Amino acid sequence: MSVIKVKNLSKTFKVKLKEKGLKGSLKSLVKPKYKIIKAVKDISFEVEKGEMIAFIGPNGAGKSTSIKMMTGILFPDKGSIDILGLDPSKDRKKLAYEIGCVFGQKEQLWTHLTPYDNFKFFGAIYDIPNSIVEKKIKELNELFELDEFINTPVRNLSLGQRIRCEIVASLIHEPKVLFLDEPTIGLDPVVKENIRSLIKRMNKEYKTTVVLTSHDVGDIEKLCKRVIIVNKGQIVLDDTMENLKYHYLNKKIVEAKMNKEVNLDDEEGITILKDKGYNLKIEVDTKKKSVSDAIKLLNPDNIVDINITNIPLEDIISDIYKDGDE
Amino acid sequence: MLTAVKNQFKITLLSVKYALQREMLNKFTFFSNIIFMIINNGCFLIQWIILYSLRDGIGGYSFRQILLLWGLAAGTYGFSHFFFKNSYGLSSAINEGRLDNYLVQPKNVLLSLITSNVDVSAMGDILYGYIMIFIYGFEIKTFLLYTLFMVIGGIVLTSVAIIWGSLAFWFGKVDMVANTMNGLPTSFATYPDGIFKGFIKLLFYTIIPIGFASYMPIQIITDFNIYYFFVVISVTILFVILAFLIFYKGLKRYSSSNLMNVRV
Repeated sequence: MSVIKVKNLSKTFKVKLKEKGLKGSLKSLVKPKYKIIKAVKDISFEVEKGEMIAFIGPNGAGKSTSIKMMTGILFPDKGSIDILGLDPSKDRKKLAYEIGCVFGQKEQLWTHLTPYDNFKFFGAIYDIPNSIVEKKIKELNELFELDEFINTPVRNLSLGQRIRCEIVASLIHEPKVLFLDEPTIGLDPVVKENIRSLIKRMNKEYKTTVVLTSHDVGDIEKLCKRVIIVNKGQIVLDDTMENLKYHYLNKKIVEAKMNKEVNLDDEEGITILKDKGYNLKIEVDTKKKSVSDAIKLLNPDNIVDINITNIPLEDIISDIYKDGDE
Repeated sequence: MLTAVKNQFKITLLSVKYALQREMLNKFTFFSNIIFMIINNGCFLIQWIILYSLRDGIGGYSFRQILLLWGLAAGTYGFSHFFFKNSYGLSSAINEGRLDNYLVQPKNVLLSLITSNVDVSAMGDILYGYIMIFIYGFEIKTFLLYTLFMVIGGIVLTSVAIIWGSLAFWFGKVDMVANTMNGLPTSFATYPDGIFKGFIKLLFYTIIPIGFASYMPIQIITDFNIYYFFVVISVTILFVILAFLIFYKGLKRYSSSNLMNVRV
């Protein structure tokens, strides 16, 4: 069952253009020029109940604008959005009871209050009776391991602890859909990993549908089974993570330590990435040449050590972004 | 419907309570802001004492009415700035995309936004208003009417601030316009209306509505007039409706932003 249905969604912004310098400022004061930016162009997709999808794209791709339209913050110019049978632009308040939002760059907690007081405040915002809020705080406290700092003012918490509290605050009312906009921004790798495993546990426990935007490939790879890539306001890829890897992983990186120099220039399907005499790093396009053929060219007798790896997902995604730019 | 209103009221009070708690973190700043505001207002009264020692009945006001005028001007300003401080920063909140957090909550966006901050020094204004009432001459009726008109006047000033601030949805940076228009009622409200004539007086009953926030209430407090009373109440309701209508009309044009925000 689809909980999110987005159909032909579009949004444009009118931006004032200004030439450089004081002269430019004066000119734009007398005769302002505007540019219409199509932030989101005719995008459509659906998300099933309990799914965790990654909604990714380079800066300015339109992902935040799309999420803001789905949460009722922005009004779309064209198209329709249906979240759990509700239209965000018409049923904003009703929808707010059903969804949770965490914006990594926008804090919603009161910094001088403790997480516990903040959670009580959020409970009141969602009209939840006190006894139920207490129960929910206890449950989420265990799940997100907040015990150590639940009674410390938010301003004294580390960024990782604060993000955990932000996520808990957005879960107090048991939302059916959770929008996470860059939840791991600015966190160190250990804390990131911790947040990821907590999100995963939450999704498993409550069957919450999660829409995640992130620039961190680790977030996407470890959390989501499906990925939607947007660029220049359009969806350039909507596929499962498995398919993404399968279709785009037709290139392998071969790093070899040799006891003899080898010349692989002009070999079809092989790109030399690094050649330092006895140390060689090549990219093999498996559509044109198999890995075993590439190894034969190196001559196995001359190989001291060899390492064959996939292209990092980060590079694959960058390539998809670039394809969209062309 | 009634439960929704009750819940909204509960959240509004909680917001004010938490915002006040935040201001109380620094004891010295908290008390000095209040005390110095009272002293600041008191200093202005000296010029009126001097003026009234030279002549009586300026602009048709006795000195006691001047006390009432100053009390109400400070009280309405204080009430508005204490409970609805963020209505005075509405245009920058709109331009900087600070409405996002309120838009994803199931409560009234405008009320949640304007009550999420308090101006502690405005407590000094409210206290100063009551001091003026006691000097004017304490009577239960005067006290109750004054309190009612302090609230009503505060709501009128807040509505005006929301209207001017909401223009940011259409015209972008309107901070200067909004600040000037919000400052004008305060500048005029401490002078007796009798010294103003013609067009200026017309402004007091339109775009600088201190006629409804100060002058008519003073007439009612000194000499109760049921007709004036209903006019003030009706106009206040109109201003509130207008403020909400303009804000929500503009909200459809809200473009948010990706600036980093912290709720401090």
